[in-house]
This record gives sequence, structure tokens and C-alpha cells, in this order.
Amino acid sequence: MGQCPVNIKEYMHEYLDGEISPEHKQILQDHLAICSDCQKHLHELEKTTALVQSMSHIKAPDDFTLKVIEKLPKEKKKVGIKR
Amino acid sequence: MEEFVKSRINEVRKGDHNAFGEIVEIYKDRIYQLCYRMLGNAHEAEDIAQEAFIRAYVNIERYNINRKFSTWLYRIATNLCIDRIRKKKPDYFLDAEVAGTDGLNLYSQVKSKEMSPDEKVAKMELQEIIQMEILKLPEKYRSVILLKYIEELSLKEISEVLDLPIGTVKTRIHRGREALRKQLRNI
Repeated sequence: MGQCPVNIKEYMHEYLDGEISPEHKQILQDHLAICSDCQKHLHELEKTTALVQSMSHIKAPDDFTLKVIEKLPKEKKKVGIKR
Repeated sequence: MEEFVKSRINEVRKGDHNAFGEIVEIYKDRIYQLCYRMLGNAHEAEDIAQEAFIRAYVNIERYNINRKFSTWLYRIATNLCIDRIRKKKPDYFLDAEVAGTDGLNLYSQVKSKEMSPDEKVAKMELQEIIQMEILKLPEKYRSVILLKYIEELSLKEISEVLDLPIGTVKTRIHRGREALRKQLRNI
């Protein structure tokens, strides 16, 4: 408690990004074993990302493509030519 | 997939609307979803997602065929969403329909006296709560979090979409996660 390594939060994010070096991972593991606050912090971060990922996928409305095609300019703009 | 898209783009460049329709079909759900999660409103999401495809069509000559088409499209859509968010006046949010609440907006929630905010939250679906908390993030964090966790882009792709160094993308993801952690930890 109060003795957390300076960059420990940074290491948590490196861990979450799957980009943690073996050295940082060791420091993180060793610290988590003795610090319940940091354990809780990492757990909350993991829960957060899981919640965001749990959001269901949404689909565009059925007539989406048709509407886009209808709105396309009739003649394609040619670069440098003004009509 | 990329090869097919590129062959279609060559047809689009000759003015083929149908070829562009095929491209829209491939990407419409991903682009619409990004806009919906960025803006939290189905009507605006449709408007901006359509605009993104129209801009892609109009500017198709500017697309560099050697790069991934989806990256370019995400970039157009993200910029349009951010522009839209910045143009919104603060009180606009009160009028905005709350995602997934079928016409209920924050104004009606504020005005309504029958239920306390806690009771309202209790009645909200988890998905709506998460969406609401994402909408509270500043747009620079919102965009990276959505591109990473909803669209599942790599850090490198996100840096290309947003035209930011990869280090900046990481910092924003870290801060976005920290902000969301505070908002979501008690759920």
C-alpha cells in the first residue's frame, strides 16, 4: 500500500494491449501479488473492456445501400473540371 | 476481399454506380455501427454513414489503391462523426434520443418526475448504460475505444485511420479505458 511502482498503471495498459515486455510483466505480477488496490484496478479495467466488447453488433437499415446510390451525384466529378 | 474491392473501385472510377453499391454492401454495417456508437442516435448515424459513402464516391480518385480501402473509409466516417459532435451545442444532448430507448430523450428523463434517476438506470438495459457512458467520453477517446473494441482494428490501423502516431493512439486508449473504468466499475 502506497508503495506501488511508479509506472504500474502503465504496465497494466501494456498488458491489456498485449504489448508488455517480460520485465514489465514480472514487475506487474510481483506487485499484484501484494497489492489488492492494484489488483482491483486491473480487474476493473478488464471488466470495462469486456463490457464494451459485449455490446451487440448493429446493422445498417435495410434500405441503406439503395439510399446511398440514390444520393450519388449523377455525373461523376472529374478532377479539375467544373460544371 | 481487398482484391475484389479494388477491382470494384476501378469500375467505380469509370462511373459505375452498381459497382459502388457492392462496396457499400460490404462496409455498410461496420460504418453504420461506428457512427451509431459515436453519435448515440440512429437517425444521425444513418445520415453520417450515408454521407461517408457519398464522400468516398465523390473523392474516389483520391483514394490510394495501394492502401486498405476500409482504413480510408473509416477515416472519412470518423472525421464526419467528430465534426458532427463538435458542431453540437451542449444543450443538443438533451434533445438527442437516448440510444435504444425508443424515442426517450434526456430531456424527457430530466423532466419526468415519476422515477428517480437510480430507478431509471435500474430499468435501463446494460447495453444502453454502456452506450451512454461511451457517449460521455471526449471524442478523441471515444473514437479510439470504438475503433479498438467495437470495430476490432489493430493499433496500427487505428493510427492510420486517425493519422496519429501509434504512441498517441496508445495513450488515448489508456486514458479512454481509465475514464470508462471510473464510469463503469460499479455496474
